[in-house]
Amino acid sequence: MGPDDIPLFAMLKSRMGYLSQRQKVIAQNVANADTPEYQPRDLKAYSFKATLDQQSEGQPYRGGVVSPTATNGVQMMATSAAHMAPAKTISPWRSPEQADSETTLDGNSVTLEDQMLKMTDARMNYDAAVGFYQKSMALLKTSTRRPGG
Amino acid sequence: MTEIRSQSMATMAIAASALKAQQGRMRVIAENIANANSTARTAGGDPYRRQVPVFKPTQVAGGEGVSMAKVDPDRSDFRTEYDPGNPAADAKGYVKLPNVDTLVEALDMKEAQRAYEANMNVIETSRAMESRTLDILRK
Repeated sequence: MGPDDIPLFAMLKSRMGYLSQRQKVIAQNVANADTPEYQPRDLKAYSFKATLDQQSEGQPYRGGVVSPTATNGVQMMATSAAHMAPAKTISPWRSPEQADSETTLDGNSVTLEDQMLKMTDARMNYDAAVGFYQKSMALLKTSTRRPGG
Repeated sequence: MTEIRSQSMATMAIAASALKAQQGRMRVIAENIANANSTARTAGGDPYRRQVPVFKPTQVAGGEGVSMAKVDPDRSDFRTEYDPGNPAADAKGYVKLPNVDTLVEALDMKEAQRAYEANMNVIETSRAMESRTLDILRK
């Protein structure tokens, strides 16, 4: 039993994973700011479904209430040989091409200002998630402390 | 290529590849500016031709970085100047001068600098995020 077994921590971990993945995608865009015909990418907004897709590995669903935030997640049960499992993707979050506000003559649509804004956004959200994680951890510590200790 | 598990290490590798590419671009710009007045050695010959760096997305450890794919010559026409006394002048007395415009090079240099700073920013942000994560261990 680790912190990941608590839904709140699992959710925060997933959120932090999403934000550092976004940071990587932004780094790719900034790196290619002068590459001809390069289209910037951005992750799809953090959603319940993406979180669920990420955790699709685990015990098959056998009825009853399943907590989607549990670390083992849910998986469709294959009752026939013809049933197909969803393909595993490298990244749980899709990164579609998303042009910025300007496109230069060489076909590059990366706008450094837009990317810097996105990066700051990712960083602030990340800091918030880490702060939340620490506060929750402190709460957990308080609750396990000996009375008067 | 080694597989990098940590997302922030991949981010740094991507930004580092961009720093390298912009550094290479600066080298080409320096070459152009240095040779802005280089005429031919022989009479009527071609002078220095401006070089243009071309970037392309490149796979680096853990993601898609960038690299300088090649350096292409600028195919635009040379400037000419009437200077019969010059050793590089042709039969009519005209000297071919490089197709380097120092103003364009200066602008290019500014752009390379801006891109370099942006990538440094990415590394700095990544580093700050990573150290925030490590803070969880400390408290």
